[in-house]
Amino acid sequence: MALPSLLVLYGSQTGTAQDTAQRIGRQAQRKHIQNRVAPLDGYNVAHLISESLVIFVCSTTGQGDPPDNMKNFWRFLFRKSLPAGSLCQLDCAVLGLGDSSYPKFNFVAKKLHKRLQQLGASLLSPVGLADDQHDLGADAVIDPWLASFWDRASALYPSMNTVTPLPEDQPLPPRYTFHFLEGVGETSGDTERNSREQRVPSESHPFPARMTSNQRVSHPSHFQEVRLIEFDISDSNIEFTAGDVVSMRPCNNPEDVEQFCQQLRLDPDSQFILKANDSTAAPAGLPEPCSLRHLVEGYLGVAAVPRRSFFETLQCFSTNELEKEKLAEFSSAEGQDELHAYCSRPRRTALEVLCDFPHTTAELKVDYLLDLFPPIQPRSFSIASSPLAHPGKLQILVAVVGYKTQIQKPRRGLCSAWLSSLDPSQGEVRVPLWVKKGTLRFPADQDTPVIMVGPGTGVAPFRSALQERIAQGKAANVLFFGCRSQFKDFYFSAEWRDRVEEGQLKLFTAFSRDQEDKIYVQHRVKEQSKLLWDLIANRNAYFYIAGAAKDMPASVCDALKATFQLEGGLSLEESDQMLVAMEKAGRFQSETWS
Amino acid sequence: MDLGIKAGDKVLLVWNQPSSPLALKELAESVGAFIGTDGKISVENMEMLLLSSHRPSSYDWVLSCLLIDSSSVHSSETLAEMARVLKPGGKLIMEEPVTGTNGYSVRTAEKLASVLKLSGLTSVAEMGKAEMSPDALSSLRSSTGYQGNSLLRARMSAAKPDFEVGSSSQLKLSFGKKTPKPAEKPALDPNAAKMWTLSANDMDDEAVDLVDSDTLLDEEDLKKPEASSLRATCGDGAAKKKKACKDCSCGLAEELEQDTKGVQKASLPKSACGSCYLGDAFRCASCPHMGKPAFKPGEKIVLDNNTLTDA
Repeated sequence: MALPSLLVLYGSQTGTAQDTAQRIGRQAQRKHIQNRVAPLDGYNVAHLISESLVIFVCSTTGQGDPPDNMKNFWRFLFRKSLPAGSLCQLDCAVLGLGDSSYPKFNFVAKKLHKRLQQLGASLLSPVGLADDQHDLGADAVIDPWLASFWDRASALYPSMNTVTPLPEDQPLPPRYTFHFLEGVGETSGDTERNSREQRVPSESHPFPARMTSNQRVSHPSHFQEVRLIEFDISDSNIEFTAGDVVSMRPCNNPEDVEQFCQQLRLDPDSQFILKANDSTAAPAGLPEPCSLRHLVEGYLGVAAVPRRSFFETLQCFSTNELEKEKLAEFSSAEGQDELHAYCSRPRRTALEVLCDFPHTTAELKVDYLLDLFPPIQPRSFSIASSPLAHPGKLQILVAVVGYKTQIQKPRRGLCSAWLSSLDPSQGEVRVPLWVKKGTLRFPADQDTPVIMVGPGTGVAPFRSALQERIAQGKAANVLFFGCRSQFKDFYFSAEWRDRVEEGQLKLFTAFSRDQEDKIYVQHRVKEQSKLLWDLIANRNAYFYIAGAAKDMPASVCDALKATFQLEGGLSLEESDQMLVAMEKAGRFQSETWS
Repeated sequence: MDLGIKAGDKVLLVWNQPSSPLALKELAESVGAFIGTDGKISVENMEMLLLSSHRPSSYDWVLSCLLIDSSSVHSSETLAEMARVLKPGGKLIMEEPVTGTNGYSVRTAEKLASVLKLSGLTSVAEMGKAEMSPDALSSLRSSTGYQGNSLLRARMSAAKPDFEVGSSSQLKLSFGKKTPKPAEKPALDPNAAKMWTLSANDMDDEAVDLVDSDTLLDEEDLKKPEASSLRATCGDGAAKKKKACKDCSCGLAEELEQDTKGVQKASLPKSACGSCYLGDAFRCASCPHMGKPAFKPGEKIVLDNNTLTDA
């Protein structure tokens, strides 16, 4: 009996599930099993009925939702019209990636597993539920699950036991080959050619928006740098409403680019064309020809925290005994604890790891660059302005991320640090971006009141909503805003003052560090219980929470339920049910980020 | 009383009022004789059990209400808690008043067995029935108001299943066919194939009826993993394992070796380690240069004032 052919389909939001799927593909390759790895929405689902062996790798994101690149597949799979025996030819398994600190832990994987069963598929393994909350991360579940899967697969396909797998320290062929061009000419267009296309900008075709202003809105003496950044999007075909989200891919900073090229002894100005070694398509967004500088600056995730697969690939190049041993340790299941302490916990970047392994780095073959480093992940921001107040413009509110870990050099957020370094007054700055629909929906009705709780940068989508609503004549708006100090980070204070004076906004503020007791938005929510009860129970108000996850959303929910009990005379269970009912009806919405 | 308790076992002894302190002490001592010095016995009042929050999966045995004076009825929460603190494979031995027909306060032995199963325990068996003591009878009557006559005390044994609830990587269940072989696959109904393909070619149709995916999830799916299953197996997640570098010359390797032999160490010598100049990947846990990049060749190793503590 022949060896099977494996299809690995993934739904990935931040690249983790994609990385895992690719790792499974490499494991299959080492076992000499033909394999394809593809995102679910990039796969023609009509063929699923004739597949024989499939692994689904799916993250759960947002509020228990499937990642963007499997949304279409998801909606297809749950059609009532699909016959129950459709997938009777299929042997498959589901591996889920999630985080049990979220209430809907791995819901996507759990639901997928059950739905596949409903449709007649044969599930070889129990659903794998990887958990970021485990001390050793997702690998603690993934490794044993994969080992078990291969066991079960070889029971189905005994011929698998007759082939000798390629050893772990032998390199697999790279996915691409670099064909360098002789004679360094002009560095070709570092940005994608600016064609006047009529389509709506997307991830594969972002719009190169000109940055018109980049102002710090938190006081210079405040520890946190928060900036209001504006882009010109006229003639872009970009349309958005309140609650929508803008995405962009940041660039690596020039020092890192220089250091990377030095470590690998690469000439940043050399130009190349990529040839794919198998049926994988060439990556979008790279010009042809491309310079190494452009690749390292705008595409390769060298400032990202590397995953285990990075070390697995790296060890294959190492001839230095000390380094090879350490890399093998970091690649092994037993070494994951050490890897976590060395890499993930202190947030060590791939570039910093390379500097710790100089001999191996010098032996790296450039053909493997795209196998070693994932593309830079796009970052998303809630849009903070409305076209009705700022036509042709798009504004975002960005808090620059910076913190210390065990590593001496402080950690900086790649995108926020990059944005803060761009100065439009020094010359033209263009940022390729695109817009996606957000999850927040605001009521169309003129009189429906809207209550928004948005501390810190959480206020961004609410500024967009307020500008939009006020332009539409909707004046029933309540905003709870919290920050550290009235004089240090109360951004938009003048704008809110004007709205309040004009009777278009009721504003309640909580400045946590301006007095001895910490006062937060949830305290203000509790203080306004009479107003809130009247708006919610008698005037059909909608309630929104936006901002950093962790404690704030739960505390605000508790304060809201306390209001139901106090003013509405509800019991604890009844107030829980009321909130659940509001959520189902779309009258309670939250958009929080970690 | 020969239950099979072994030396080294960890036992939780649960009792409730009213009870003779002397009888409880004697029971504890006789259990202690079985488990010896390596074992551990904890005594807990049933009312306090739920509040004490014992560590999960930590006891080989839970012995509940085995004293002749006992008259307590175990609540579902109490039984679930006992199941939680038992190790996988651990056993519960408990006694409870039972009656001929189910009342609202006292159960039949069959109902009790069923309740034990619902708490997550397996191998539920009735070990025997006995007369209740007059004191136990009267205290039961006054606490529950039970007036019937057919009261006996039943001793039940039950075990915690061998797998941990909630840790998905340990389950060895296989869904679907037991020994799946491709040859056994049923043929695909051509109508089903047609329907699927038609739907797939019509992906953009917004106006289709969808199954509510929430309905697919049951109670088990809504459970979160047990916190203990998320910890790394080597000791506490908080305590970082100390490791010495390969050619350790600072004494840490010796110290670690001596630690495993149970010898106390006073302080850690801070002489230069052979691997300091390499990156963090190779430095030992106590290296004063941890956090810095690897040194360039020819760079002097200088300890700044912050890293020099006690000389």
